[in-house]
Amino acid sequence: MTDAITCPRSDTVAGYVAEGRGLQDGRFTITTSAGCDIDMELAENVGAEVLRNLDEPYLDASDHIAEMLQPGRFAFFYGIFYPGAPFEVKRIIFVGRQIGAYRFEEPNWWIDQIESIARFYSRAQFGDGPVDFRNYRTQIRLGGDKNGSHVQETDTISRLVYGMASAFMLTGNDHYLDIAEAGTEYLREHMRFTDYDEDVVYWYHGILVDGQDERKLFTSEFGDDYDAVPMYEQIYALAGPTQTYRVTADPRIKRDVDATLRLMDRFYLDRAKGGYFSHIDPIFLDPRQKSLGPNTARKNWNSVGDHAPAYLINLYLATAAEQHARMLGSTFDTILDWFRDYKNSPFVQERFHEDWSHDSTYQWQQGRAVVGHNLKIAWNLMRIHSLLPKQEYLEAASSIGDIMPPVGADQLRGGWYDVVERVTRDGEGFHRFAWHDRKAWWQQEQAILAYLILHGVTGNPEFLRQAREAQSFYNAFFLDHDEGAVYFNVLADGFPYLLGTERLKGSHSMSMYHSAELCYLAAIYTNLLIERRPMNFWFKPQPDGLVNNTLRVAPDLLPPGSVRITEVEIDGALHDGYDASALTVHVPTTAHRPLVRVQLSPAES
Amino acid sequence: MTSQVDLREAADETVIAISGELDAAASAGLRDRLIPLIPGSSMIRLDLAGLTYISSAGLRTLLLVYRHAQAEGSAIRLVGIRDEVRFVMSATGFLALFGIEEIR
Repeated sequence: MTDAITCPRSDTVAGYVAEGRGLQDGRFTITTSAGCDIDMELAENVGAEVLRNLDEPYLDASDHIAEMLQPGRFAFFYGIFYPGAPFEVKRIIFVGRQIGAYRFEEPNWWIDQIESIARFYSRAQFGDGPVDFRNYRTQIRLGGDKNGSHVQETDTISRLVYGMASAFMLTGNDHYLDIAEAGTEYLREHMRFTDYDEDVVYWYHGILVDGQDERKLFTSEFGDDYDAVPMYEQIYALAGPTQTYRVTADPRIKRDVDATLRLMDRFYLDRAKGGYFSHIDPIFLDPRQKSLGPNTARKNWNSVGDHAPAYLINLYLATAAEQHARMLGSTFDTILDWFRDYKNSPFVQERFHEDWSHDSTYQWQQGRAVVGHNLKIAWNLMRIHSLLPKQEYLEAASSIGDIMPPVGADQLRGGWYDVVERVTRDGEGFHRFAWHDRKAWWQQEQAILAYLILHGVTGNPEFLRQAREAQSFYNAFFLDHDEGAVYFNVLADGFPYLLGTERLKGSHSMSMYHSAELCYLAAIYTNLLIERRPMNFWFKPQPDGLVNNTLRVAPDLLPPGSVRITEVEIDGALHDGYDASALTVHVPTTAHRPLVRVQLSPAES
Repeated sequence: MTSQVDLREAADETVIAISGELDAAASAGLRDRLIPLIPGSSMIRLDLAGLTYISSAGLRTLLLVYRHAQAEGSAIRLVGIRDEVRFVMSATGFLALFGIEEIR
């Protein structure tokens, strides 16, 4: 077996300029995330830039390379490996102007980014005209154009609604709330099935529109879930409306969410053995129907783990209802009970039979791991730990944070991988890629949020390092400065991958959910937990929707007592009717919907 | 009021008439009676002229009939749908699954 590649090849290397080995005579050494030293040499025509946000101009730093390449500086270096020679650096991306400064830690970085993304999707879906969801299309091209597809998927509308509601919460821009509310209404009118016999609501997979005609797609149209009602589609149908509900307190949304929860409770929940089934058949609403084929009587990551991040935490934040707290605890207790499989793999098992025995034979899943799902577990364990403190949650999340980088991260180039084999081959020290070594935007999000909240709650500096490296890679390579929004995938070296469905900005997989969720929560964790700076949030509740006129404004599940309300305005006037530590605002009854601005600040420690 | 099923067979088609109210209670029993009546590779007409009410469970029963007919290679048409039933089927999208024939 040969392990020598003898021809020159290009690549990206991420690392810190090594102590005592800074730039001298055009040469320097960097240390990668994994602690490997790589000797570097600047090409004569080397260029450099400083990280920039969407809608910011290019920040050229080519004339400042010498003063910026000092020990401790983290950067990305693109260049050529020549066998036997130092890595020849052609291009550098610095992540901040000073050593130890990261641009994405500026107070408004993530807020500016969500606003740019919201503008992109608003323009892509509705142009300059009114917000009319009859014109919504799931598929959006790279530059924001629509193609000929006439499908409107429930989940992608819901995801767009989530993004827009989140954008409103961070900016107070009414246009985004208009889109969120119009989308929520459209889902209710066109995608909702009210089953009066069973007293539940379920959501169509989508509709096929052609002018004024529409054909409802009752079951999933996709290979994985064909002719079934998958749990994850019901989960994500709630994502957008629930986030909107946090802003508006619209009681109709609450009724739909409650009715969908009854569907989950009555037909998907396994009371005997725990967890939720992944699919039910559309006729009998039965998870054990043989017609479901390989999805008969199965449970998976989505059906158990996605409730919390997609809608359930947001529902709890809006209501403080005990039953939602219990469901959060029980879903993650289930994950800790059954998903971890450390004697066989550092990655969780993701698919199960009814009795929790492993199903490793399913289509694409087989014995594979989705790296981002492991990080998602860590991220949400830390959130739920703030609500339901349990040493097991903290230890499990921290353990995932410790073990993931060597097995799931690209410790040479930066960023996090996609789907890998759970078990290594004999004698190999790495987990082989299921299909490729590309990096997906949503998986970077999981890493960023996991490590931000891990550091924010525990103070562990290693977690902050991982968070910074993940944010650096995402912001360096995923922002589409030419067309707007973010790329679906990049190659291992960070260059955009623009083929097939991964070229699209709107698709079954992508619709302003993960990119917005990242902006919203990264802003909160960075500002409130780590950098300890105040933030503003906006709400616009319906007077008849609030219970006892109480608006709950906790931005996320954060450690109790870590943030306080420090200022409230209602329709531009200061308002002192709030409970600073309970994070509630008393909203007087009015005939109109008031605009409520809430400033949250880190509590004095 | 329960539902009733009548079967008429002709040379080139099968007519299944469903009358009464197809509520949750009736639907459960109806499924077992309906499925054996669906022949292969034939034209099936569901005569709904006597159907006065259809519930969510009833809609799912029709979906079952539709799926079974598809699997058997049979075509299926709805005949004589009353306005109130048509409204429910149209609003929920189930009507689009079937070809419709009006009673002349």
